[in-house]
Amino acid sequence: MDNNFFEEEEFVTQFNGQVIGRILQQARPYWKHVTVFLLLISTVAIFDAFFTYLGKLIIDEAIVPRDKVRLMQLITLYGSMLLIQAGSVFGFVFLAGSLGQRLEYDLRRKMFNHLQSLSLSYFDRTPIGWIMSRVTSDSARIAELVTWGLINIVWAILNLTTAMTFMFIINWRLASIIMVVLPVLVTIAIYFKKKILVQFRLVRKLNSKLTGVFNENITGVRVVKALTREEQNLKEFDHLATNLYQAGYRAAWLSALFLPMVQLVGAMALGTVIWYAGGQIQVGGMTVGGLQAFVSYLTIMLFPIQDLARAYADMQSSVASAERVFSLIDAQPEIFDRPEAIDPDTIHGEIEFNHVDFYYDKETPVLTDFNLKIKSGEMIALVGPTGGGKSTIVNLICRFQEPRHGVIRFDNVDYTNLTLHAIQSRIGMVLQTPHLFSGTIRENIRYGRLEATNEEVEAAAKLVHADEFISQMEKGYDEPVGENGSLISTGQKQLLSLARAVLANPRIMIMDEATSSVDTLTESLIQQGLEATLLGRTSFVVAHRLSTIKKAHRILVIEDGRIVEMGSHAQLIRAKGFYYSLYTKQFSHDLELKMKQI
Amino acid sequence: MPESKFYPSLDLQETLHPNRVVSLWRLMRGFRLLYIAAIVGVGMAAVSKTLTYLLLRYLVDQVLGRQQFDFSFYLIGLAFIGLAAFEGSFTFLSGRWAARAAEGITLRLRNYLFDHLQRLPVSYHDRSQTGELIQRCTSDVDALRRFFSEQALGVGRIFLLIGINLLALFSLNVKLALLIMAFMPLAIALSLFFFKKIEVAYQSHQEQEGVLSTTLQENLSGVRVVKAFARQQFEMDKFEKESWEQYRRGRRLVLMHSFYWPMNEFLCLFQMLLITCVGSLMVIDGTLTLGTYMAFIGLSIWIIFPMQGIGRLIVQMSTGIVSYQRVADIIKAEQETLESNQSLPDTPLVVEREQKELRGFKNMSGQNGDELYRNRTISKPIRLSSDLYPTKLRYETELRNARTNQQNLTNIRGELRFEQVSFEYEGAEAVLHDISFSVKPGEMVALLGPTGSGKSSLVNLLPRFYDYTSGQIWLDGQPLNSYPLRQLRQQIGIVEQEPFLFSRTIRENIGYGVDHAVSDIEIEGVAKAAAIHEVILSFPNGYATLIGEKGVTLSGGQKQRLAIARTLLKSPKILIFDDAVSAVDTETERLIQLALEKLRRGRTTFIIAHRIQTIRQADKILVLDKGRIVQQGNHVELIEQEGIYRQIYHLQAQIEEESRE
Repeated sequence: MDNNFFEEEEFVTQFNGQVIGRILQQARPYWKHVTVFLLLISTVAIFDAFFTYLGKLIIDEAIVPRDKVRLMQLITLYGSMLLIQAGSVFGFVFLAGSLGQRLEYDLRRKMFNHLQSLSLSYFDRTPIGWIMSRVTSDSARIAELVTWGLINIVWAILNLTTAMTFMFIINWRLASIIMVVLPVLVTIAIYFKKKILVQFRLVRKLNSKLTGVFNENITGVRVVKALTREEQNLKEFDHLATNLYQAGYRAAWLSALFLPMVQLVGAMALGTVIWYAGGQIQVGGMTVGGLQAFVSYLTIMLFPIQDLARAYADMQSSVASAERVFSLIDAQPEIFDRPEAIDPDTIHGEIEFNHVDFYYDKETPVLTDFNLKIKSGEMIALVGPTGGGKSTIVNLICRFQEPRHGVIRFDNVDYTNLTLHAIQSRIGMVLQTPHLFSGTIRENIRYGRLEATNEEVEAAAKLVHADEFISQMEKGYDEPVGENGSLISTGQKQLLSLARAVLANPRIMIMDEATSSVDTLTESLIQQGLEATLLGRTSFVVAHRLSTIKKAHRILVIEDGRIVEMGSHAQLIRAKGFYYSLYTKQFSHDLELKMKQI
Repeated sequence: MPESKFYPSLDLQETLHPNRVVSLWRLMRGFRLLYIAAIVGVGMAAVSKTLTYLLLRYLVDQVLGRQQFDFSFYLIGLAFIGLAAFEGSFTFLSGRWAARAAEGITLRLRNYLFDHLQRLPVSYHDRSQTGELIQRCTSDVDALRRFFSEQALGVGRIFLLIGINLLALFSLNVKLALLIMAFMPLAIALSLFFFKKIEVAYQSHQEQEGVLSTTLQENLSGVRVVKAFARQQFEMDKFEKESWEQYRRGRRLVLMHSFYWPMNEFLCLFQMLLITCVGSLMVIDGTLTLGTYMAFIGLSIWIIFPMQGIGRLIVQMSTGIVSYQRVADIIKAEQETLESNQSLPDTPLVVEREQKELRGFKNMSGQNGDELYRNRTISKPIRLSSDLYPTKLRYETELRNARTNQQNLTNIRGELRFEQVSFEYEGAEAVLHDISFSVKPGEMVALLGPTGSGKSSLVNLLPRFYDYTSGQIWLDGQPLNSYPLRQLRQQIGIVEQEPFLFSRTIRENIGYGVDHAVSDIEIEGVAKAAAIHEVILSFPNGYATLIGEKGVTLSGGQKQRLAIARTLLKSPKILIFDDAVSAVDTETERLIQLALEKLRRGRTTFIIAHRIQTIRQADKILVLDKGRIVQQGNHVELIEQEGIYRQIYHLQAQIEEESRE
């Protein structure tokens, strides 16, 4: 789906020399191509204007004097120019087109690679849709400016100047009149194009809104039906669609007005020419061929003017596109490898939080003076209310975020002295909302360790009891999971992402509600398999199911960014504190029930 | 069909016809005159253009020859301007008229599609991909709009230009005119040939664009996974590969263009050259006047130019027609009957069921127009004239029943009886077999069973998202399918496991299910009852906070409580609650339980449960396995029995017991 479900931003950009300079820089590695296609398009532009002049010469020097020899000369010239013209057209279309594709490819690659280095916080701040349209449509718009934009401008300007030159050669007085009209024409054209552009932007904005409404109504169709909202929804939709109708209609008729307006001004100039030229011809100041040339130039002049206006309008939106693309490329990763960072051969998995403070924004602290020491191979369970800081701890361990103050140490080394790769390649992570990539089940598990054999992949799947459902699939491990894993259930996705993490054989394992959508029977099976794998690894478990939590060596109750209780299950139950009340609440019903039965 | 002052209303299902040209013509109803006027306008503009060149001929041949100066130059100069004004006005007017017609047709189509989609049965949506549907309703509709506003008019313009100019050329000189005619087939063939190729190359380029953006989108939404596994390089290689493929396909597209353009340019210029050559020789030999020659050169430009565009337009038009077909596929699907005045039940009759099966599954996706037409003729009379069928009497009885029901519906009691109900999704294995049980008003029924055992299918039968295939469900003693859908659904509230909320404000989301105006007090009342009021107040904009991409992201528990508030406000007689599997924290869970308690008071409640403490309170527990009820009774009864229930109970109890040691 390529559609942008987000509103187009309004961009009224003034011409910014810096940005245009930077756009042109993208084409710098290909300056030879650019030079060649600019030369070719210049040839085309000059020839285009020259053909008309040639028509004049044929009338004045061959037809009127009845000179067949001269006619043949001129026709030969015409023919050879024609061949050069065709060659040049091929050349510039091919070169500019290919270059456009290449620039798009370059820009996209640059952006994508840069995105991989950006910190998680960038993605928390920036909607995916925004990034997507930068990489897809904006890059295309920039490539277009450097190729077709340039071509349009160069062709239009050269074509106009050549035509004007010939007109001056034919009759300078008439040419001067047209020189006066020309700026008027260009101004009208640009004025109209701008107006039209604004209108089309509105149409586009409304269109993406409309797409959003369709999307929501189709995805939520059950709710719409269950709540019998059909009529109200239609009313709202009709309102939006009618707005689109009006904007679209206005844009269309404004566009329809554009050509006639320019044509009319041209025709007035033409009328003047005829009125004037008629007199001149009779007194001998102008030839019939000259008249023909003027008429042709005036009719054809429309095209370069239109192109100029279009190039101008396009340039505005390209500059806006470029600003957004450059803002993406210029975004600095907040977390990056220090120059002296190392990748040690082994990490045992000893982790220490030392006076760690963390803030998401300037004011609200999430963790304050957090201290924790975890032995290698220890299993830690994190419990506590939502928003208490559990996921922040997990994010800090993965170094998705770095502490504001204080130090986190891996094996007694400040982890900012390690490379990101060193840390993250040793962590296995399973999230509550698992993410899969389109491709087969096998490919998705193998994501954990790219060089794993088929046997290893299957062994990992067996360990987490994913094998049962996989073998029931038509194509087994080669069954595609769909975009974002849409073809399989959440529980199945969780199992696959668990297998993926197991396959990665990490030193540190993080499981955030990893099996929350798996049914009770399967979960108890997984538990047994996991216990074996987790042995010897440092692991963190965020969970609500007691069965998972109570196996942990240490349970931390996190509330308001602090550890409020810590200890084993038995210890915490005995302490009769927060943990105790948390869980007795949950199971009070069952306790009652049990007592009745006894 | 939604009404609007911008178009005459029209049932778009009536426009379907095996011949797509006929369908498009029918689709234009109400705008045909305007559209024809637009085409006539285009013709008038073409005539003015031709006259301009004939005027030039007159000027050169008749006026310039005169020895003394006269006023004709002024007149001719004025005439040139006049003709240009004439041409300009008609170009503008026809553009405006065509735009009004095209936009009007599109508005009607959009409104129809939107309404149609929300009235198509759930089974249709199950089969369809959301992205695909959206694309048909947006880009395909837009392609159709361009078909009317640009392409069809453009083709008309080109043919009129060529036709009128040719006529003028023939009247001037037959020999030269034939010379131009000789090139026409070649130019058109070339244009068509290349644009077919270009179109194919373009489609393949677009396809790859789709692949590329999926790759990108998955990378972005899975950014945590990518980072957690340190797979940046792998991702870069993957993207690079797809991106390179895109580049390769782009180059192929460019290559097509770069052959087409010069070839076309060459052909045009060569044709001009030939005319210039032959024409000037004729002038020199005295068989052609200079004015005619000049007019000829001018006019032939307006034949050669338009011809270049014809290939592009025709290919675009054909994609426009393909787009129409894709849209028509949606239109031809049958809607559910919601309205009270059409109280005929959706599928109460054997006859119609058979027809439905006949239409079948494959009918929904693309097939030829013949089949479509046949289906239309079959399904039509069923709705309208029941007298074609011997079951007329039964129909009338049903109708009468339905009418009585309608009056009673506002005070239904919520008594339900399932009688040997079976259900299968179209063309698939049966998912429910022989389900029988009964529920008294206000009772709570818990459904328990492994994934895929048929719990969701069973509750989906109640709002008639699907119709059962055999047996009968009785609501207050009347067959469920004799109730008009709209009224039935107004009596049923559903709280899903992962509720769908709309990207609107919280207030609008809570009030989403009621069509009358709701006061703030009512909204806050239900929000308090659903234990979500405090949470809402903690947001910066309170009840005006937007939900979704541009606003706040709610946790699963918050969403569910919001859905409970929404359902509370709707105040249904029957409640369906799909208990969330995913563990929310204990506090949240307690809040949801409390909210649920309030919600189910006095309503017949169906709950898909996963925890013993919820199930325990139920008046009736149905244990489902493979689409059958394997156990049925209350908690105490079921605990006594050997079976799945006791197993699950013991397993959960055991876990909890261990945890207390």
